[in-house]
Amino acid sequence: MNNLLRSVGGYLMNRQAVRHRVIQGIFMGIFVLLLLVPAGCTKKAEEGKTTLHFVTWKPNIPEAWEEIYSIFRAEHPDIELVRETGPHSSTAFHDLLTQKLKNRSEDVDVFLMDVIWPPEFAAAGWAAPLDEMFAPSERKEFLEGAILANSYNGKIYGVPLFIDSGILYYRRDLLEKYGFKPPRTWQEMVEQAEKITAGEAGKGVEIYGFSGQFKQYEGLVCDMMEYILSNGGNIINPKTGKSGIAEKPAVEAVRFVRDNIIGKIAPAGVLTYQEPESLDLFIQGKAVFHRNWPYAWEVSNNPKRSTIAGKVGIARLPHFPGGRSYSTLGGWQAGISSYSKNKEAAWTFVKFLTSERIQKLLALKAGRAPTRKKLYGDAEILKAYPHFSGMKDVFLTAYPRPRTPLYPAVSNVLQRYFSKAISDPSSDIEKEALSASQEIDRLLSLAK
Amino acid sequence: MNRFLFYATTFVVVFMSLLPFAWFLNTSLKTPIEVTAIPPVLLPSGTLHSYRSAITEYNLLHFVRNSVIVAGLTTFFTILISVFAGYALARLRLRYKGLIMGSLLLVSMFPQISIAGPVWRILHALGWLNTYQGLVLPYVTLTLPLGVWILAVFFTELPDELEDAARIDGCSHVQTLFRIMIPLAAPGVFTAAILVFIYAWNEFFFALLIMTQQKFQTLPVGIALFQGQYTLPWGEIAAASTVATVPLVLLVFLFQKRIVRGLSAGAVK
Amino acid sequence: MKPSSRAKERIFALALIAPCFLFVVTFAFYPIIYSFYLSLHRIILGIPSLGQPFTGLENYRALLHDRIALHSLINTLMFVFISTFLEILFGLVIALVINRHFRGRGMVRAAILVPWAIPTVVSSQMWRFIFNDQYGLLNYILYGSDTSSYNAWLADPVYAFSAIVAADVWKTSSFAALLILAGLQVIPDELYEAAEIDGAGAWQRFRRITLPLVKPAILIALLFRTMDAFRVFDLVFVMTQGGPADSTNVLQFYGYKKMFTEGLMGYGSTISVVVFLMALIISVIYIRVMGKGMLKAKNA
Repeated sequence: MNNLLRSVGGYLMNRQAVRHRVIQGIFMGIFVLLLLVPAGCTKKAEEGKTTLHFVTWKPNIPEAWEEIYSIFRAEHPDIELVRETGPHSSTAFHDLLTQKLKNRSEDVDVFLMDVIWPPEFAAAGWAAPLDEMFAPSERKEFLEGAILANSYNGKIYGVPLFIDSGILYYRRDLLEKYGFKPPRTWQEMVEQAEKITAGEAGKGVEIYGFSGQFKQYEGLVCDMMEYILSNGGNIINPKTGKSGIAEKPAVEAVRFVRDNIIGKIAPAGVLTYQEPESLDLFIQGKAVFHRNWPYAWEVSNNPKRSTIAGKVGIARLPHFPGGRSYSTLGGWQAGISSYSKNKEAAWTFVKFLTSERIQKLLALKAGRAPTRKKLYGDAEILKAYPHFSGMKDVFLTAYPRPRTPLYPAVSNVLQRYFSKAISDPSSDIEKEALSASQEIDRLLSLAK
Repeated sequence: MNRFLFYATTFVVVFMSLLPFAWFLNTSLKTPIEVTAIPPVLLPSGTLHSYRSAITEYNLLHFVRNSVIVAGLTTFFTILISVFAGYALARLRLRYKGLIMGSLLLVSMFPQISIAGPVWRILHALGWLNTYQGLVLPYVTLTLPLGVWILAVFFTELPDELEDAARIDGCSHVQTLFRIMIPLAAPGVFTAAILVFIYAWNEFFFALLIMTQQKFQTLPVGIALFQGQYTLPWGEIAAASTVATVPLVLLVFLFQKRIVRGLSAGAVK
Repeated sequence: MKPSSRAKERIFALALIAPCFLFVVTFAFYPIIYSFYLSLHRIILGIPSLGQPFTGLENYRALLHDRIALHSLINTLMFVFISTFLEILFGLVIALVINRHFRGRGMVRAAILVPWAIPTVVSSQMWRFIFNDQYGLLNYILYGSDTSSYNAWLADPVYAFSAIVAADVWKTSSFAALLILAGLQVIPDELYEAAEIDGAGAWQRFRRITLPLVKPAILIALLFRTMDAFRVFDLVFVMTQGGPADSTNVLQFYGYKKMFTEGLMGYGSTISVVVFLMALIISVIYIRVMGKGMLKAKNA
């Protein structure tokens, strides 16, 4: 082996006069200089100040957050707030944050948690229980679903900051033109979409019926759960505590998506779409219906980004005949690291961040739906976002994804199953559902 | 006819090699609206908006600095160690040379996943996750086979007479190495350095695992994670990609001969 | 040389390779053994209360019944076969074309090296953008502004897999070409001249002279491309995240997901060990074959 490669190498590396001496010198010089580059210029904390590290994602409306930080700094001059900004994709942010927490990193005091993480963070011992600071009387001010999502084994691990729930966006102008009301059932939505796309064909912009999130990722679970629940099915059957995805209503709902939505009223491309791509299609005027979170309202009515500003309507998601409308609960919480050395200052910040006035600011300036019940009656918010009032019960009843410390593993099984079931027109859904179901039950039993 | 075929093939090959990147470069000079226009716009307005935004909104320069530090340090240490090892393997009496070279070759072929968990745990135990040394150590290990192979081949090619002459003059082994052999091996060192630098600049898997803080992330990790839950900034991704690629393209155009020779000797990625 | 001086030389040589040895043992060989150790335990990072119980070969038994693991194994092997085959084929063609003296040869060589030098993450983003269903270049080239015929390449299992193969072939054919070119350049011109005098045609010259003599170089290119394709990760991570329907899920990505996203350290390590053993077997086979090939070439 040695001889072989050496002989090959020998042919290739014939002796050659040193020609590039000067260039080499320069290059080595650069390398030496590189070594002298100071390896990280961290600012030293000022004397007497508590440094608080806040791990957050990159906001889509940074001005609102800057305002919040400057208010906090003005009110708490004794706390030096250091922000670390991670990626805004939930999965990537999860990987980053959990790596830090596994590392017992001291540069995490306060962090944001997606609504599906508290059980995992609690079981792993990463998130500190907040029961002593977050009084039960205070919790009553918040939406029940959001509080439930932050509880695990009788303790509470996070304070809800804002919530998300699935909403149906539609082209008000087009529905009016064809004399339709917002659809109440999925079947109605499909019919309306078909009529409108047929009627609009050949009139310039080519338009699809629907866009949503169907890539193999976390968002797929959110979207598919809404179909399943609205057909009377469930991901985890609440009666048995076991997987419900192989039960008939769940399988039927998945089949409906495969046969009537993907590649039919929605372009096949939705199988590669996360939120931004699906919203792009809608705001470029290329989709009649669109499923997304509340933030899309602000974007689709912003004339700088959207070609359909002012033509957008919203409604609760449709359901199957005999079922009722369900929205997946999303949203973000503030939690405190178990390894934080400044828990008191951390709580000061969490309390500030989730306070009524800051939530109101986030609602007004960033379009985030508050978690405090009272704000759904706030005149100013309702004026700026009239849909919050009509959608109040959508937020109140938004349904959480399965709560288990092994959620990431369960979710991967679900993503795989849904993606397989809907992207292959000839897939044997029952069989796939059954094997995914067994896998989920196995994971659930591990976590017990 | 033959001549025509030759030029046509050459043209197609060169065109195909350059087109995709040229398209990305083109994209980086478009306005946000042009970037996602349907159908695509061929000529960009030539705005630097994406670059500005990548720098101010996405900390592009930060990633560049980290990549420079990590790739620079890796190159330095790998070459230092490889010069010694390569010399010993090529020109000194040593048992199990074949075995050593063989196992080095094996290391260069490890799927990263086969060592990822333990490497992560070791660095965790040392408290070196999210530090430059935490990434440089695995990088040095993974680039050593490349460095040692190239330099060993290079040292083998040097004529024996020089070394013999040095010995006769009474030079010790250490003196021979430092006074005679290393200066002669400079071209090999340089070749190996370029290849190691490119490897470290491009590596993604370990960087993703080890650098979880944005403060320490390298360019590939930055570019892979630009996308957010609510944003897919293609313009900025294209701009950052261009910044990450231009130094390498320059290296390739300046040193293509050396790179080819090094590749054939050490045969890396 | 006197024995004492010989011993000195040995010690000096050992001292010189010691640092290299240290690195390779700590960060390559020890981790392999450690992986094996971890694979015999149940370790779930998300539930530390479970501890780290020893479970023997249970993880391996579970892996045998893991349909997704099998699926990603098949995907990985298909990826390796198809992409390596295409890369060597294109590599050979490119090498034959540019193995001439012509003005600007250096520039051409540099140009075809560009794909190789581009970071994989960058090329993955680039191809993802080119394959985009709405504003991608590929659809535009194929269908112009007829947006209704646009294809969602990455949404279809077969196309998505092909897209990943295409991106890999684009990036690394030039690498294969350069290795093969290096082999071509050592074939003496006299051989061809002699063959031509004997009346051998172009095809015969290629079959009888070029191919046998360039075989060692092809085998080396094959070895490195195979091992590299076997650990494909960046392309999948950036372009598809394994979807749609797991059609682009590969072993290295699956192991990463298990270990670092789902926190199943023990089970993930089992995948690591199996992947390692497979890589080991493939490379040993190659090295054997290459050794033989070299022998034949020498005897000829």
